Amino acid sequence: MIAKKQGINSTSHAVYPLRVVRLNFFILYYEHMFIYTYGKEGVNYMHNRIIFHIDVNSAYLSWEAVYRLQQGQTVDLREIPSVIGGNEENRHGIVLTKSIPAKKYSIKTGETLFSARNKCPELVVVPPRYTLYMQCSSAMVEILKEYSPTIQRYSIDEVFLDYTNMECHFGEAVEAAHKIKDRIRKELGFTVNIGIGNNKLLAKMASEFEKPNKVHTLYREEIAKKMWGLPVEELFFVGSSTAKKLKSKGIMTIGELANTDPSYLQQWLKSHGLLIWQYANGLDDSVIKNNGVPMKGLGNSNTIAFDVTDSITAHQILLALSETVGTRIRNANKCAYVLSISIKNDHLISYSHQRKLDVPIASTNSIYENAKRLFNEVWKGEPIRHLGIYLSSLCLNDFYQISLFETKEKEHKKLDEAIDKIRVKYGCHAVIRSSFVNSDLSPLMGGVLTEEEYPMMSSLL
Amino acid sequence: MKVLMKPIEVIAWFTKEGIPNPIKYRVREEEKDNIIKIGRVVTRTEEKLAGNRMLIYRCQTILHDHIKVYELKYEVNTCRWFLFKI
Repeated sequence: MIAKKQGINSTSHAVYPLRVVRLNFFILYYEHMFIYTYGKEGVNYMHNRIIFHIDVNSAYLSWEAVYRLQQGQTVDLREIPSVIGGNEENRHGIVLTKSIPAKKYSIKTGETLFSARNKCPELVVVPPRYTLYMQCSSAMVEILKEYSPTIQRYSIDEVFLDYTNMECHFGEAVEAAHKIKDRIRKELGFTVNIGIGNNKLLAKMASEFEKPNKVHTLYREEIAKKMWGLPVEELFFVGSSTAKKLKSKGIMTIGELANTDPSYLQQWLKSHGLLIWQYANGLDDSVIKNNGVPMKGLGNSNTIAFDVTDSITAHQILLALSETVGTRIRNANKCAYVLSISIKNDHLISYSHQRKLDVPIASTNSIYENAKRLFNEVWKGEPIRHLGIYLSSLCLNDFYQISLFETKEKEHKKLDEAIDKIRVKYGCHAVIRSSFVNSDLSPLMGGVLTEEEYPMMSSLL
Repeated sequence: MKVLMKPIEVIAWFTKEGIPNPIKYRVREEEKDNIIKIGRVVTRTEEKLAGNRMLIYRCQTILHDHIKVYELKYEVNTCRWFLFKI
């Protein structure tokens, strides 16, 4: 019996050492790269960092609810089944945010308002108000700025704050987080979750734990206890398709992912495999970027209120999108080498087409001409529901290769400059193309706010 | 007091620092305009709910030998006045 037991133990030992050696090797390699990147003092700082992740609970909905209460309404949207939803007539009718009572009817973010109403007939649907959201988000950032000079606005409702070495000013991290949370609730009227960790990933994971109006910690030593038991899809960067793949191999929890051989994951899922293994082990050395994430590309798209069946209307829409994309890229002082377009048809099937250009572009006309060419090459003639234009491979617009064959480049540049200035001064519809005069289409399409940049969430930490 | 949040027309004076002080307001009730002179501003507080700055004035006026207490709100962003509670 004893011999049998030992036998079992010896076989399991024979399997594990190699895995442990590999794990240790990866952690050592990671730490070595860490020292190489940040130097010894930097490593000390990076190891002892305290990062807060502030996440607004049901952001759009609670902002709308607070605003309505301030304007004298007696019903609190947060206490009844309610959702923020797009305009159904323009086919933007999906749930953007839901209240906690709406969650009880298993209404999910992203589902159609039609199916949400089927689940809960007395559901209150409120249209989105992006200017209000920007105002709420900015007011929250103003409060957070009082607690640390290093803040990153990760999206409209999420902020990272570096609390390292701030204990002498505002007390222990947990105490300070409670202070911040209570102050936001008292002054601005909405609730937030604050996650505290040694890096941005741990802080973000911590803020997801239990909602609303809570402070959670997830320090390095708490990873096994608090994070490893969670299902693998709860991990940042593990989407539904990755979770499916992992589950097919029997990796159900974050802990199981963390204890999987990283070289195996790398072979199987390439660099993404190694990244999620690092995240499962709580390894992340990304810094808090005060100036936001450097822009790698930009684009705009639009779900059209009707199905487009002719190329003339589709070209019009591409022109309207080019106007928005063009203004944004010129505002950022950039030019783009790569242009791509995306099409979603009436069966909700999407496809895209892109091209690397010989010379970088930024003018509305050249964006439109190239987009039109790509569209004509790829469109199969079926009804179109959604069109988008994206620019990438950006370069600065002060020195760049000009085209030998483009004769009116200077004129186009001047024209765009003048139009941009007029739109800033007199509103974005002050100058429009004559082709839109008797058309039902909007002369500028894409984006949620025309008057200011709206911070969309980045996929990078 | 009951929440009304009714838009009103107001005559106010502003301090050098830019703080408005209401003097009298006009409110339309049952197809009739009522002008009410503000007797005294008891307190002035500020709120920033949803990031929207508003000044709240708790005021009192003697009406028919009774002290009537009510609250006015001034929305800084839009420069609009409201009869908030009465």
